[in-house]
Amino acid sequence: MKAAFRRRSIAARLTLMNVLVSSAALLLAFVSFFAYNLISFRQAAVNSLSGEAQIVGANSVSAIIFNDEPTAETTLSALSSSNDVQAAAIYTQPGTAFAQYLRDGNELLQVQPMPANQMQAHWVNGADILVGSRIVFQGKHVGVVYIHAYLHGLRAQALRYAIIAGVILLFCLGVALLVGNVFRELLAEPIVSLADTARLVSRYRDYSLRFAPTQSYNELRLLTEAFNEMLAEIQQRDAALEQARDKLELRVEERTAQLQAANRELEAFSYTVAHDLRGPLDIIRGVEYLLHQSEERALSERGKEMLGRLNTSVTEMSNLIDDLLNLSRATTTGLHSTRLDLSLISSSILDGLAKTNPDREAEIIVQKGCYIYADKGLMQVVMQNLLRNAWKFTGRAHPARIEVCCTKKGSETVYYVRDNGAGFDQALADRLFKPFQRLHAESDFSGTGIGLATVQRIIARHGGAIWADGEVGKGATFYFTLGSSRP
Amino acid sequence: MNGDGSIQAFCRSRVTRPRLRRWVALLICLAVFGSAQAQAVYTSYDVEAAYLYNFGKFVYWPDDPSGASTPFTICILGDDPFGEDLNTLVANETIQGRPITTKHLSSASSSDTCQIVFLGLSEQARLAKDLTELSKRPILTVSNLPGFLEYGGVIQFLQQNNRVRFAVNLTPAEQSGLVLSSELLKVAMYVDGKPSTEVKP
Repeated sequence: MKAAFRRRSIAARLTLMNVLVSSAALLLAFVSFFAYNLISFRQAAVNSLSGEAQIVGANSVSAIIFNDEPTAETTLSALSSSNDVQAAAIYTQPGTAFAQYLRDGNELLQVQPMPANQMQAHWVNGADILVGSRIVFQGKHVGVVYIHAYLHGLRAQALRYAIIAGVILLFCLGVALLVGNVFRELLAEPIVSLADTARLVSRYRDYSLRFAPTQSYNELRLLTEAFNEMLAEIQQRDAALEQARDKLELRVEERTAQLQAANRELEAFSYTVAHDLRGPLDIIRGVEYLLHQSEERALSERGKEMLGRLNTSVTEMSNLIDDLLNLSRATTTGLHSTRLDLSLISSSILDGLAKTNPDREAEIIVQKGCYIYADKGLMQVVMQNLLRNAWKFTGRAHPARIEVCCTKKGSETVYYVRDNGAGFDQALADRLFKPFQRLHAESDFSGTGIGLATVQRIIARHGGAIWADGEVGKGATFYFTLGSSRP
Repeated sequence: MNGDGSIQAFCRSRVTRPRLRRWVALLICLAVFGSAQAQAVYTSYDVEAAYLYNFGKFVYWPDDPSGASTPFTICILGDDPFGEDLNTLVANETIQGRPITTKHLSSASSSDTCQIVFLGLSEQARLAKDLTELSKRPILTVSNLPGFLEYGGVIQFLQQNNRVRFAVNLTPAEQSGLVLSSELLKVAMYVDGKPSTEVKP
């Protein structure tokens, strides 16, 4: 019942409540009024019957004293004029009636003993009333008169009340329904429409909807207006937010495009510079070579020394240009990833390095079976840079040791190159991968300062990451992963 | 007595039957008659004594100069069928606020202080003389002698269906200044020779 009531709409609830409340009030009023009426009706009947009993008793004194039952019965039968009286009896001693009157077809009167010290008594059972009255003659108790009456009027009265109550109840229900309808129009329907609109707004996130205005000037109207204002506010903010976002996106795109253009220009410029530098450098190198081949004997010792220095500088410059070209290629060339045997690549590079410095003693450890999915040319550049660095910085270590390994870490494979060379200060680790940043003096270890920057760019292009551990004088380890770019 | 009479009549109706039955009926009649008579005599006088005293409550005597100071006296003239019963009955009772006393009269002339006089069976022969004497004073005369009312008595006991009833003669009562209550007349079997139902209001 309660659950069913909860599911109903506000309008139905209001109407139902109206009907329930008014019915309950009416019923209560009727019941109490009816009860009061019943009691007073009965009391009146009891009073009148008691009076009759007294009269009958007084008139029966001589009949009782002189044992004249017929006369007593005649006196009792006078009660027949009252329609409600069903039976009457006079008792001179308990148990047997001295005289009695029974209306046609009525059963013998069942009497109750009179309470002591009481002249009158009555017993009520529904519409049945039994009245007892003591007969006293000259100060002496001579008997008791009992009258049993059935109050026909009571039933008629009850019926009349029930009919009146029913009619008024029906009328009031009608009025309650009518009032309920008025309520529905005035109160419930605006709320229902409010709820509907709110549901639409929250479901479709459509803040352009508006609540229908109500005619009445009350809290509902305030509520509706407040809602509408809120919606307008939300809509305005939404619009502003969207505009700001659009503007921002546009600006970002613009900036990105500018940045990309600038980058491209820069790369093209550096490529062009590097490429164009190569031509004159090749000529210088050629002239130097010719000079070295044909005119060496003609040169003095000082000339030979100068020629050597020229050669060294040209080689350095050539390396620098190569590195620059690699760096610019690292970001511009297309990626053609294949499955590569990193162990094999590392071994061949290390072999090459060992041949260039055959007098160096180095312990080389390359883990077998390290495969990687990456661009072959770029990965070559990466390993060359890393291994050349390791080779270079272990120049003063005896014995030098270089390891190339791979290990699983979660779903990723971490590759690393470890050496026991000069190492670096961990605090400066973030400067390692920036171009032209060098952690060692040129006099200690020569280099261009571009290699690790190139490596970092290539790894980044593959979606991977690179980082390094190191300690001054104890060696360095370069780790890298290629992220999840593998198939 | 009427009650006994009816039983005798019942027995007589059986006498015409064959001999064996006659004897059986006679035996039964004897048994019934004997017990009924004994009981009737006992209850009758018992009830009559009560009535005698109760009549006083429904009869109004003319004002007596001696008033309430003298006791209300019930007198017995001739045979006394009540014995101690009447004395027991009236002890501690009052009529119109006066205590009750009983008295045996040797003759009707000594009835000065009596309010009620009961005439016993022995007065049958002197009935007219007695009543003439008693009518001089406001005295309620009561008897169960047959023909009592015709001689000028006021109340005569009768028997009806084994029940003690009474008949009232209003004329002598009025002559001697007595007023009988309508309540009393209502329950009388006859009033002035007519069944009392006819004189009821």
